[in-house]
Amino acid sequence: MTSEAQFLEHVQSGGVVEAGDPMPDEYRALLVKFIAMHGNSELMGVLPERDWILRAPTLQRKLALTAKVQDEVGHAQLIYRVCEDLGAPREELLDDLLEGRAKFHNVFHYPTRTWGDVGVIAWLIDAAAIVSQKALLKCSYAPYARIMKKICWEESFHILHGRDVILAMMNGTDEQRELVQEAVIRWWGPIMQFHGTRMPPEKDLVLQYRIKTKDNESLRQEFLDGYVPQIRELGLEVPDPALRYDEGEGRWLYTEPDWDELRQVVSGHGPASADRLDLRRRMRDANAWVRRAVLADAA
Amino acid sequence: MSARAPSRSDALLAAADDELILGWRDSEWTGIAPSLEEDVAFSSIAQNEIGHARALYELAARETGGDADALAFDREPAEYRCCPLVELRRLEWADTIARHWLYETADAVRIEHMTASDWPELAGLARKIQREEAYHRLHADMWVDRLTGGEERARLAQALQGAWPYALGVLDGALRERFRERVAARLPWFDAGGDPGAEHARGAHTVELRPLWDEMTMVRRSVPGAQW
Repeated sequence: MTSEAQFLEHVQSGGVVEAGDPMPDEYRALLVKFIAMHGNSELMGVLPERDWILRAPTLQRKLALTAKVQDEVGHAQLIYRVCEDLGAPREELLDDLLEGRAKFHNVFHYPTRTWGDVGVIAWLIDAAAIVSQKALLKCSYAPYARIMKKICWEESFHILHGRDVILAMMNGTDEQRELVQEAVIRWWGPIMQFHGTRMPPEKDLVLQYRIKTKDNESLRQEFLDGYVPQIRELGLEVPDPALRYDEGEGRWLYTEPDWDELRQVVSGHGPASADRLDLRRRMRDANAWVRRAVLADAA
Repeated sequence: MSARAPSRSDALLAAADDELILGWRDSEWTGIAPSLEEDVAFSSIAQNEIGHARALYELAARETGGDADALAFDREPAEYRCCPLVELRRLEWADTIARHWLYETADAVRIEHMTASDWPELAGLARKIQREEAYHRLHADMWVDRLTGGEERARLAQALQGAWPYALGVLDGALRERFRERVAARLPWFDAGGDPGAEHARGAHTVELRPLWDEMTMVRRSVPGAQW
């Protein structure tokens, strides 16, 4: 048996890998790509929400949203450190992101239009994300699994914050309820695309190496199980007439998500992709002198 | 706000408005600061400032009626008592650090003064705020010390000069002079002379307050009287 086959058997049987352990190049490259995309998503996920910190309608909401966004930046920082240990420096990863060579989650390529979006992002998008992230708690790469504990813990507070924002609006005026319903309609498509296509597990190397521990469709089903009943209980409609739980099949049936849209969006052609990357590039360039000053200090 | 003689809650509202508006400006850096570490730091400072504003508004509301949110959001821009320094949009790092350092230095003088207030609730609150503001000053000091190389020093000096007349408008009388002494002691190379013009002093507002207020209150105004 080759050492690569032994490695695969090791991780598939529950074995873990530490930063200094020998690992196949393929595994290291997959890890960096996967973990960097997570870091990029935490970082780009700040931008849809940042404007709404400034617009938050009460002091308490402003504090909660600022804290949430601060958590996301903190997650990006932790995640990029894991990548650094794997040989991918943060500056390089950020350059890849800003120059369009790296990806981030589809949901962060869309604009936010109302305070309803703020609630739906914190509640449902963070819920979809936490389903994925919980499946990383048993990642074969132990340093990543360890930081995921902190991340999942904090994300669970974001969902509570999001649900509270939604509940306040649903208990408010007709206009407020309408803002929430419109936001659910706007975000449902991207949410259904979020966990990715139904890739056969045997073809998904990330799954084979137990970097993630559940396939895309299982994650989507888990999200639907947890949240469709809650959405409906609040009197909100899910904009998919085909969505229903099939007792016989033991799973949710739904209209096929628009996979072309997903491919377009994650390759940097979403409605807000260019503006968001452009904002980051402008700020990187404007702040370049600060980084030079700090690096000169550190040298 | 009712029109009446200045009361002890006026100074409180001035401090609360300063903290709210500066916290708002600090939040403009969220997601786009020069490093992830500074992003987290400015977010944290913004949260403290907003938290202080809330506590000060709550105390003020006991005298003026209403609640903290109504004081923070439901007044017209002309009714805010914040100083022009905190209103300025300063989305350039040297400008932000200059304003941050000058404000924190002035605010320390103001809070010390408040800790000696004969209004026990205010003195207690000021002591609590003082504990958190100490970290803001450490952060601001660190940056002033760090920007000492040629290019950075020139940027910082220019930014300090630009902000200085406004910084003099944060405090009046003896407190202003105490602030000036601290600046001169800490930055011997900086000319800490002069007086604020009418446009720099509290009571005046810059043209930048209105767009800030429009954005800050847009959701709240969209459905008047609603709970959020």
